[in-house]
Amino acid sequence: MTQTITPEVVPERAAGASIGETTDLLVSPRRVRSRGARVRNVLLAIWLPIALLVIWWFASASSTSPFFPPLSRILEEFWAQWIVGPASMQLGSSLRNLALGYLGGALIGIVFGTLLWRFPPVRHVSNPLIYFLYVLPAPALLPAMIALFGIGELRQIALISFGAIWPTLLNTLDGMRGLDQVKFDTARAMKLSPLRQLFSLVLPGASPQIAAGLRASLQTSIILMVVTEMVAAKQGIGYFILQAQTVFAITSMWTGILMLAIIGTAANYLFVGVERIVLRWYYRSRALTNS
Amino acid sequence: MNALSRRSFRWLAPAAAVLATLLLWQLVTAGGLFRADQFPTMTDTMIALGKAVATPPYWAAIGATVQAWFLGLVIASVLAITIGSALAFNDFAFRSAASVIEIFKAIPAIAILPLVILVLGSTLPMKVFLIAFGVFWPLVIQVIYGVRSMDPTVLDTSKALGVRGVRRFFMVVIPSASPYIATGLRIASASALILAVVSELVGGASGIGRNILQAQNGGTAAYPVMYAYIITAGLIGIILTGAFFLLERNVMHWHESQRNIRSNSEGALK
Amino acid sequence: MTIPSPESENTMSNLTVPTPAASSPSTPSHPSDAGEVLRVENLRKIYNEGKPHAKTAIDDVSFTVNKGEFVCIVGPSGAGKTTLLRCISGLAKPSSGSLSFEGRPLTSVPEQLGLVFQDYGRSLYPWFTNAKNVGLPLAARGMKKAERAERVSQVLKNVGLGHVEKQYPWELSGGMQQRVAIARALSYQPDLLLMDEPFASVDAQTRFDLEDLILTVRRDLGITVVLVTHDIDEAIYLSDRIVVLSGSPSRVREVVDVPLGDHREQVATRASDEFLGLRRHLLDLVMPHSA
Repeated sequence: MTQTITPEVVPERAAGASIGETTDLLVSPRRVRSRGARVRNVLLAIWLPIALLVIWWFASASSTSPFFPPLSRILEEFWAQWIVGPASMQLGSSLRNLALGYLGGALIGIVFGTLLWRFPPVRHVSNPLIYFLYVLPAPALLPAMIALFGIGELRQIALISFGAIWPTLLNTLDGMRGLDQVKFDTARAMKLSPLRQLFSLVLPGASPQIAAGLRASLQTSIILMVVTEMVAAKQGIGYFILQAQTVFAITSMWTGILMLAIIGTAANYLFVGVERIVLRWYYRSRALTNS
Repeated sequence: MNALSRRSFRWLAPAAAVLATLLLWQLVTAGGLFRADQFPTMTDTMIALGKAVATPPYWAAIGATVQAWFLGLVIASVLAITIGSALAFNDFAFRSAASVIEIFKAIPAIAILPLVILVLGSTLPMKVFLIAFGVFWPLVIQVIYGVRSMDPTVLDTSKALGVRGVRRFFMVVIPSASPYIATGLRIASASALILAVVSELVGGASGIGRNILQAQNGGTAAYPVMYAYIITAGLIGIILTGAFFLLERNVMHWHESQRNIRSNSEGALK
Repeated sequence: MTIPSPESENTMSNLTVPTPAASSPSTPSHPSDAGEVLRVENLRKIYNEGKPHAKTAIDDVSFTVNKGEFVCIVGPSGAGKTTLLRCISGLAKPSSGSLSFEGRPLTSVPEQLGLVFQDYGRSLYPWFTNAKNVGLPLAARGMKKAERAERVSQVLKNVGLGHVEKQYPWELSGGMQQRVAIARALSYQPDLLLMDEPFASVDAQTRFDLEDLILTVRRDLGITVVLVTHDIDEAIYLSDRIVVLSGSPSRVREVVDVPLGDHREQVATRASDEFLGLRRHLLDLVMPHSA
């Protein structure tokens, strides 16, 4: 090895274009043909989650453990707290911070990833610093941010953004570096301007891997949202959960966990939905070539 | 430019950039853009780091963090590889479990942290459980995909050769799925470190995260120590994640070369 | 770097697409027509020049292409054919020698040059529909949307494709994809069409169809064509003149005239005595033992 660990920035290949990739289990490209098969598939997909819920319901029904209250009570409390109750305020604050922080970080990641791709010397020089910031566990910076800026929503958003930058940036860079040279030759032959090359070739060409980065950034953002609320805020779901835990309001705490599960799942499905539309060409062309 | 000076450029330029950043840090803090009670100077931080390195608590904190990271990762990997392979070979089980796995993967592991703290306390098992829980779901998906993408002819060949049972599992299934598993492990390693730090920061278990928070609570005088520990966290990240980068690259390389040989002889894979 | 400089964009946006004189279908083209489209003089290309592992790909190549001519460049594999094509298209810089396109020295890819690469899968942009792929060079030249749509459907018709505008390239067969790539190169009515092994990635029957297509297109549009191939039969069938290269590093071994007339048919032409005589002569030139 002529290089140590740091120099070559290697991407989050989570759902990128390479062989060791992750795809969602639920959105497998398999085409469903008949209606009967479709019903069968839906049943296959939902029976186990429902069964687990039923088991949870009955197993916890007569529970006396302080940590595991009956599911029925959790759901009642969930309704009282989050749907009609005061906790819905916490939800708004959390979601706003998450959205602003995530989108800001993602945008920065894409812009700077593109710039680093465009200027190889800058990339070469800044490589170790970027790698350091990428592998630095972002929550470790939280105390420093508190020390530096105090407590407040803007700081929370800033930290979420900071964590969201790196997976997107590295994937953007790697996706662009992986673009086929023939496509650039073609662009030159067609006399595409630099700006048109960016929007007609570079960004769409790297989009599958950018999406992989965005997905990783989303997961980091949710973690950071909760951590910032637990450590450095007086509102939000994380604050709610930790507060409930400190006063031993276990059922309330469970409702918060449930809410977070819902947010995480919803954010994930929203992302996959948007990705399916934006990258329709990618998934469909891949399904065609693989069949 | 001859080859020698180009090679030294490859090394020197990034190193110079790191030095320049450190110098900039020093200039900004010593120059008064930040007050010392907000952001310590680079030299103070380096002195604090140097002092900390010489003390046993520093290494104890690193040990606690890495230990939890390691145990959580090992437990999650063993479970993910066994359960994942089992699911991958049975279509009914795979399709049934897929949605459950997806839902659990989408739950941020940190959501259950307060509960785990209540049940297990601010202890090593608490950290390990949290890490294993958070890392298991994405990893099991990688394993399922890796095993399912296995070339059927490889499996048929191994059957024909009479390789079966545990032997087939370790000699055929795992190597075939290894690129997916390696990628999964690399991502898992980074998540595990984040979760370890969070469990120390929020859950109060011993380790780097707790030391960072303690230094922050210790007031202005302890800020250099706080940054020293933050830098340490980054260095741990470099070592742990870097190791998996290398593992992944080697596995990928091996796999790709095997794949080329195969696809040359029998056309496209799959 | 692959992105052209901003200056080239400015000059480009002021240009409307000029209609080349030769594009009027009424004037049949002949090699004897005056006007030189391309002149290559003592071209030499050395990779990694001045370094220990320098490799001379092209030693000394000179030839000219006149307006309306169909010239094929053949040579044994590894003869630097693609390198030569990259040089004369302006994608690569020659190490020495001179190149001129329509009388002007060639420095970058000329405005009036169409390029078709061997691998349509790599040169077409899978994220765009066929219409957008074909319209891309037109958009780069500032053509209005309505006019663009009209031109795109016209040029798709020219290459024998029906209504594939809304489909994606990867939804079509290989031969049809290469037609889309040809349509894209023709869309801005270039004076010279450069093709690099354009039919090497399709099956034999499709190959014949595409060969006839390019002859028809050339007849209808009166366009000048330079085609690189390793297939001697194809070269004879298509061209007015053949530039035969020697093995690496390449030199011009001979320029062979192909007096087969304007109308050619796959079966009859290939069975004619002139064709077979030329074939024997060319094989003698290209086969290694004849060196």
